[in-house]
Formats: sequence, C-alpha cells, structure tokens
Amino acid sequence: MSKARKSVLCWVALSPFLIIVLFPYLTMLSTALKQKDEIFTFHRSWLPREFYLGNFVELFVDRNFGRALVNSLTISVGATLLSLAVAIPAAYALTRMRVPGNSALTNYLLITQMISPIVLIIGLFRMFAYFGLINSLMSVIIAHSAFFMAFAVWMLRSYFATIPKDLEEAAWIDGAGRFSAFVRIFLPLCLPGVVVTAIFTFVNSWNEYAMSLTLLRDVSQQTAPVQIAFLTGTLYQIEWHLIMAATLIASVPVAIVFASIQRYLIGGMSLGGVK
Amino acid sequence: MSAIDSSTPIRTATLRRSGAAQSNSLFALILVAPCLLLSVTVIGYPIFDVIRMSVFDVSRIGIVREFAGFGNFIKTFSDPVFVQACWQTLVWTVAVVGGTMLVSIPIALILNEDFYGRTIARTIVLLPWAISLAMTAVVWRYVVNGDFGTLNMTLSALGLPFDGYPWLADARMAFILEILVGILVSVPFTVTILLGGLTSIPETLYEASAIDGASPLHSLRYITMPLLWPFMQIAIVLNVIYVFNSFPIIWIMTNGGPSNRTDILITYIYKQAFAFGKLGNAAAGSVVMFAMLLVFAVIYLYLTKARGAQDDV
Repeated sequence: MSKARKSVLCWVALSPFLIIVLFPYLTMLSTALKQKDEIFTFHRSWLPREFYLGNFVELFVDRNFGRALVNSLTISVGATLLSLAVAIPAAYALTRMRVPGNSALTNYLLITQMISPIVLIIGLFRMFAYFGLINSLMSVIIAHSAFFMAFAVWMLRSYFATIPKDLEEAAWIDGAGRFSAFVRIFLPLCLPGVVVTAIFTFVNSWNEYAMSLTLLRDVSQQTAPVQIAFLTGTLYQIEWHLIMAATLIASVPVAIVFASIQRYLIGGMSLGGVK
Repeated sequence: MSAIDSSTPIRTATLRRSGAAQSNSLFALILVAPCLLLSVTVIGYPIFDVIRMSVFDVSRIGIVREFAGFGNFIKTFSDPVFVQACWQTLVWTVAVVGGTMLVSIPIALILNEDFYGRTIARTIVLLPWAISLAMTAVVWRYVVNGDFGTLNMTLSALGLPFDGYPWLADARMAFILEILVGILVSVPFTVTILLGGLTSIPETLYEASAIDGASPLHSLRYITMPLLWPFMQIAIVLNVIYVFNSFPIIWIMTNGGPSNRTDILITYIYKQAFAFGKLGNAAAGSVVMFAMLLVFAVIYLYLTKARGAQDDV
C-alpha cells in the first residue's frame, strides 16, 4: 500500500474523533463572533452575520473579565514558581545523591500525585479558613503547588537523570563548589526540562477548577474557569455569546502553548510517568 | 526503560566517596525537606482532619463536638441518595474508562503508523487535554442546549428531527452525554501512554513474524496486544483514579440533577458539605472515597513494580 493511500485511510478512520474534538472549538468561535439576537432566534447558522468583536469588548469593559484573567495568571505563575522552587532541589537530591528513604519518598510522591484534591476539599477548606486565607489567592497558590509538585519532581527527575555526571564532577575538580556547579553547569543543561515542567505546571494550575471554586468565594477573586462556569449559573437567560468569547480567550492561548510542548510531554511521560 | 533508572550509578559514585556520605545524606535531606514539608502540610493535614471529622459529631459551621464512632458512616450509608450515587459512580467509572480504552487503542495504533499529517492529527487528538475540564463542560453544555445549541442546529440542518430536543433534561440522556464528554477528555492521556508503549515494541519482532508469514492481523493479535497489555493496565488504573473522582464535568453540566440521577460520590459529598452543611456526612463520604483511592494507588504501585522487575531481568 502506498503511503498516500495509507494516509487517506488513517485520516478517514480518525475523522469521527477529530470532528468531535473540534466541534466545541467551532462552536466557541462561531458563537463568540455572533451578536446576541443571532443566538436566540429560530433561524440559526454556523456563520456569524458579520465579524463581530463586540462580545470581547463587553466582556472586558462591562463584565470585568480581565480581573479573572489576572487572578488566574497570578495563581498560575505563583504556583509554578513555588512548585519549581521546592521540586528542583528535591529532584536534584533524588537523582544525584543518596537520600535516606529514597524509595519510600518516591512512592509517597507517587501516591500524592493520585490523590485528587476534591476528596480532601473539606479538610483543605478548613485548614485555609483557620489561617484566614479563604478568598486569598495565596491559598490557591499553596494548594496548587502542593498537588502539582509531585508531578514536577517526577518529570524533573527523568530529565536530570539524562545529564552526565562527569560534567559536574569536572567542575568540582576545577574547584567549583557543589552549588556553583549546580547553577553554572547543571541548570543550564537541564533548562529545557525545567521549562517544559514549568509550562505543564502552569497549564495545570490555569485549568484547575475545584480548589479555586471552593477556596475563593468572592466574585472579585474568581479565576477564569470558575467565573466562566459561574456565568452559566444565572437564573435569567444565559449569555452564551459572552461565555463563549470568554472560553475562547481563556483556552486558546493555553492550548497553543500546550500543543507546542506535547512532544516533550510524551517523552517525559513515558520516561517518568509510567515507570 | 531500565536504562534511565539512575539509582545504580549514584550508588557506586556515593560508595567511591564514602567518607563524605554522612554529611552528603544530611544535605540531601535538607534539599528534599521543603518539598516534603509542603506536601505533608497541605495534603497530610487535611487527610487527618477529614478522618477526624468522619468519626466526630461536627456542627454546621465546622465545630468538632463529641466522638460519634461510626455514627456519620451509618447516617451516610443509610441515605438513599448516597447509595444511588455509589451505583452511578460505578456506572460512570466503568463506562468512561471502558469507553476510553475502546476509543484510545485504535487511535494509538493509527497514530503509530507513518502517514502524511501525523503530527497534525496527533496534536488534534491531544487537544482536549490542554483545556480546563470546567471550560470543556461549559462549552458542551451549550453545544447540547436544546433551544440554542449547535448540536441541534447541525442535526436540524442535516434534516434530522432534533429541533429543540432538550438533551440534558432527561437524566439518562444527560448521564450518557456526560460519559461521552468524560471519554473525550480521557482519550488524550490514554493515547499518550499507549503510544509510549507502542514505540517501545522493537520493529524486529514484526519483521521476523512477517518473514514467518504472519498476516498484519496476526501480528496485531500475537505481538502488539500482548506487549501493549502492561501499558493498558497502567492506563486503566490511572484512568479509574482520575475518572472516579472527576468533579467539573458533572458539576457544571447537570449539577447532579435532574433529581440526583446524575450525582456521583464526589458531587454528592460536595453538596453535603457546601450546600447542606452536613460536614460529618461529607467527611464520612470523603473517607470512603479516599480509602478506595488508596486501593487503586496500591494496585498502580504493584503494577509498575512488577513491570520494573520484568524490565530488569
């Protein structure tokens, strides 16, 4: 069978699934560009009447959606920095040194990675309430870091293990201390791995729903996914044109970033995740 | 995969410098400490607190009163909605995980072939992974909206009689749709694991069997499937873990309704805690779920350990 014929067959076989995957995106795009009266009518069509950007303006000017995006961004950046700050030293120790109780620690991290925060949500809520952190973005930053850190350690470990030890040892012989060898030799070499891990943590944090919903009760502190879901809860006519514009803004940039790193993710998963 | 198991080189390196080993392991502990501290505080303490609340009488505003033994558990287990939610959780988990495997295996097999545009196809298949489950649920809730949704619009345009059909009003249909969305969002992760498995199968096996006159179907049955099985096991266990306590899809699409017929354990617990203020019941439910999660996690550890042992031989 020629490659061309095989390609056609493969695409045909995949097409039902691909259509279902793309259907929501087309829906988002088509609805976000429509005016209100085009949605709530009997004669609807996929194509908007005109290329209408008013929904985005309304979203930012009247609905203050920018605030939700800033909240999401603050939390995601904070959670990424905090989890990397604790995961990098831990992953370094686990790959380069003899940590007492290494395997117990590894299993512990693996299990925490499987615990869904939602099962512990009452406990989490009470703990952050005790510290007066409900409605504070800090609570979600800390919670996200704790739950996404295990995965970060896991991925970093598999990257760190690929870097030859000789380079650092050479630096030690040349009189560099452990720390300066780590910063000057080791970190630059594993920068790609660190970046991929950071992006993945960012995306996870950006998309998280249950913890943000529970720990941030105030509308002004809501993250983008929570606010979007919140907008569908109104008793009046749901403003789908605005909601779809919001999902488009909150999801497309993240999807593009994610698509650009997925190739590394496949490598990292098969190295670290499965083993 | 044992090639990346780094423990052996480290061990020999440490032995070489055994004099420094003592201070070295102290330093290693210091490096691990922040990570452990964060995890034990934010994950460990809530575990303790939820277990404690489950065996105490807890007031609406969360004040822990006297010891209640199994009182909360008995109250929870005798709630018909809880029992119903248990069954629905079972249906939800089995249907989503089973469906995900059925869809993912052929997709992974196709994506493992060499064809034009494979990278694009792979990117599209993995796309649902990149998006917040909450937003996926919101968009699907709109897609299947009876009056304004794009699904009915498209079906009507194709001449099918679905104009104004309220998909989410009927509990059974709503649950089926939620299961389908659940499958859609689980496929990318599963395909990723299976693709990892497929690339680990040496090409020489297929060449040898082709020389022996095996048809492609035979190779699939006797080479690909058995060698892919360990990866399928891992995908199944991980999916069970993720799906069984997946919250946003059901919470946003139907909120467990109509009349609790799409509630699963996690949405039941969330309502008990944050809508009805029955913290004791919610804690008892959480402990039950947590225990089940631990069982799955142990199965996962066992599976990966068994695989690791095989690899090392």
